[in-house]
Amino acid sequence: MSEPSIGILDLGAANRANVASGLERSGARVAFVCTPRAFQECAALVIPGVANLGYIAAELDRLTLREPLLHAVERGMPLLGICAGYQLLFEGSDEAPEARALGLFDGRVRALAAARLPHMGWNLVEGGDGVRDWAYFAHGFAPVASTCAIATTELDGHRFVSVARKGNTVGTQFHPERSGTYGRAFLDAFVAFAREAACSQSA
Amino acid sequence: MLAKRVIACLDVAAGRIVKGIHFLALRDAGDPVEAARTYCQEGIDELVLLDVKATSERRASAIDTVAAVAAAIDVPLTAGGGVRNIDDVARLLDAGADKVAINSAAVADPSLLTRAAERFGRQCVVISIDVRRTASGNAIATHGARVAISRDPIAWAREAQARGAGELLLTSIDRDGTQAGFDTALLAQARAALRIPIVASGGAGTCASFADAFGAGADAALAATVFHDGLLRIADVKACCTQRGVRVRT
Repeated sequence: MSEPSIGILDLGAANRANVASGLERSGARVAFVCTPRAFQECAALVIPGVANLGYIAAELDRLTLREPLLHAVERGMPLLGICAGYQLLFEGSDEAPEARALGLFDGRVRALAAARLPHMGWNLVEGGDGVRDWAYFAHGFAPVASTCAIATTELDGHRFVSVARKGNTVGTQFHPERSGTYGRAFLDAFVAFAREAACSQSA
Repeated sequence: MLAKRVIACLDVAAGRIVKGIHFLALRDAGDPVEAARTYCQEGIDELVLLDVKATSERRASAIDTVAAVAAAIDVPLTAGGGVRNIDDVARLLDAGADKVAINSAAVADPSLLTRAAERFGRQCVVISIDVRRTASGNAIATHGARVAISRDPIAWAREAQARGAGELLLTSIDRDGTQAGFDTALLAQARAALRIPIVASGGAGTCASFADAFGAGADAALAATVFHDGLLRIADVKACCTQRGVRVRT
């Protein structure tokens, strides 16, 4: 059986090439997708995001990908959102208040309260199980609370939600494609998850 | 809590690493992709790839080198050198740079910073400022330090921050290649005036020079020669920082 591909939504985000390289290092076959039709060929979807949230939200509508994406998620297709692509999964963002987010996670994206902004560099991702890993961040906004939170990160005495998950939808405020061995392990896990989901769908 | 970053810089010309003193007298020093891989294995936090002759020879950055390095590494990459307009920024980001450093073109037209930030987010816009000490105080230089501009670097950094820059790469031309330590006075001035992260550059010599730069307010410190020539090991730099109470990624 040929390896099912992971579709990277091409919304003009600047890190799409790096996300593709990262997934390929984890053994995945990747394809850039920008049409609803191309979704059908994918085992999983990724929304990369070095971009203004308003920009990628508008691109999602311009390319008429919003409804197909929500349907795919409803059918159980694994989805990973990264950075601005992660923020798009929440209910809305103060960075672009007029932008329509996806609302897959509850909670709102707020401006970070920190002495130094943007939050740029390596910080600890802390899960509820006490596990802490270094990951690379580059952002000025983040979700501060969500029932979907599975890990948080501390900055200048405040915490924000750095990883969230609900069903088969997962998102990271950090950049797994640029987060060394932890990032690699994270992408390995997502690729394995996509593979399993594809097998159970075709079975 | 955010860690201080140790950054290795690859100065590249025509697809090869080159290294000079005070920006001039470049010599060949190897393959950038190999060097980048080695740095990642040794625990580097970030890489900077500068096309050192791009602006002076009026040609675009070597996109292929950026793409090859970006695909080979799992830490962030800043690319710079020869960035003239928003299309150059887009090309470098498309090739796999996480951030783009803009120097001469931003001095000529500061609105470039704003346009880049609005399109790609300010976290990928780095203002690169080369500083030379003169009789009448610090001044900036452009075009690979060949063109002097009588302007205060701190005032320019503040304007660049207001225009959309998300990080400052602050290079002391006088310290570059000397291994005499970073210009901590300049770093402290910049820290007091700015809200964006500051990358110290020029003068890395001993492990202690990194801790000194962090102590002066730098968020990251960059070196080329001392890492490339094996004079310092990244692990030793980080151990020294930890010993001095500076938080680094381990």
